[in-house]
Amino acid sequence: MAILLLLAAVLGGTMLSAQSSINGSLSTKAGTYETTFLTFITGALILFLLVLFFGDGEIGLILEAPKWQLSAVWFGVGYLFLTVLAVPQIGVIATNISTIIGQLGAGIMIDHYGWFGGNQILFDWKRGLSFLLMLIALRFIYIADKKQVKGG
Amino acid sequence: MKGVVYMKACIYLFALFAGVSLSIEGAIYGELGETVGKLESSFYNFFVGSIILGIVLLFLGHGSLSHTFKAPKWQLSGGFLGVIYLTILIFAIPIVGVGAAMISVIVGQLAMSMVIEHKGWLGSKANKVKKEKVMAVLLMTISLFLIFS
Repeated sequence: MAILLLLAAVLGGTMLSAQSSINGSLSTKAGTYETTFLTFITGALILFLLVLFFGDGEIGLILEAPKWQLSAVWFGVGYLFLTVLAVPQIGVIATNISTIIGQLGAGIMIDHYGWFGGNQILFDWKRGLSFLLMLIALRFIYIADKKQVKGG
Repeated sequence: MKGVVYMKACIYLFALFAGVSLSIEGAIYGELGETVGKLESSFYNFFVGSIILGIVLLFLGHGSLSHTFKAPKWQLSGGFLGVIYLTILIFAIPIVGVGAAMISVIVGQLAMSMVIEHKGWLGSKANKVKKEKVMAVLLMTISLFLIFS
């Protein structure tokens, strides 16, 4: 079960990457905010249908959910704004790499302390080593991307 | 001179926090999904996100929303892809945790961006895959196995 979910998450990553290329090309003509708005609105329309036909939860409970849980949407929107802000200043490569480090570091901390009510998964040597390997991998990506910018 | 350095450092911190936000978003939606339902949480995100972006668009938008109807249809698929991504995460995070889920996402992102670049898909210029990137995917995959074993 868990391994299938991880594979699914890899698939999720491929979707995210394709999305950023696709949105990138749309936004050159339509504008950044316009493109982001369009992404959210199509997503909402699709999910509205999915919830109607396949939803087995209780959508009304959203109104009773603690406000801090509802604030997740601000983090999603915040991510978009922060990247829009950072890319023109430090470039796509540096922005992506900083973002990934933040993502990993926070992910491991949230697991370790069990923040936001999730299961606690303690930081051990395996997680430390895997974090280190990710940093080395990012270093490789940085080198490759720099070469690309220079040499094409 | 010093001011410029501080400014740069600030921007790096912003980018770092953008990543932190992604993890927090996933962690919270994982929880919300347990109470209100997974598809329902995902819907909440896109619905309220549309409202927020709608307001932003009204005040800050200077592009052309009407271009949507002239653009090639494949350029409109961003919403579909976003739905798949977030919904998968909402299912996965309560079971595998945020750290492992994020590493998987990053592996997928890197692998896909290599394919897109190599083939020159989706409006990008075709570029040969660099050996450093292959190394990076390899290291990340090992890292995923390590965190999972």
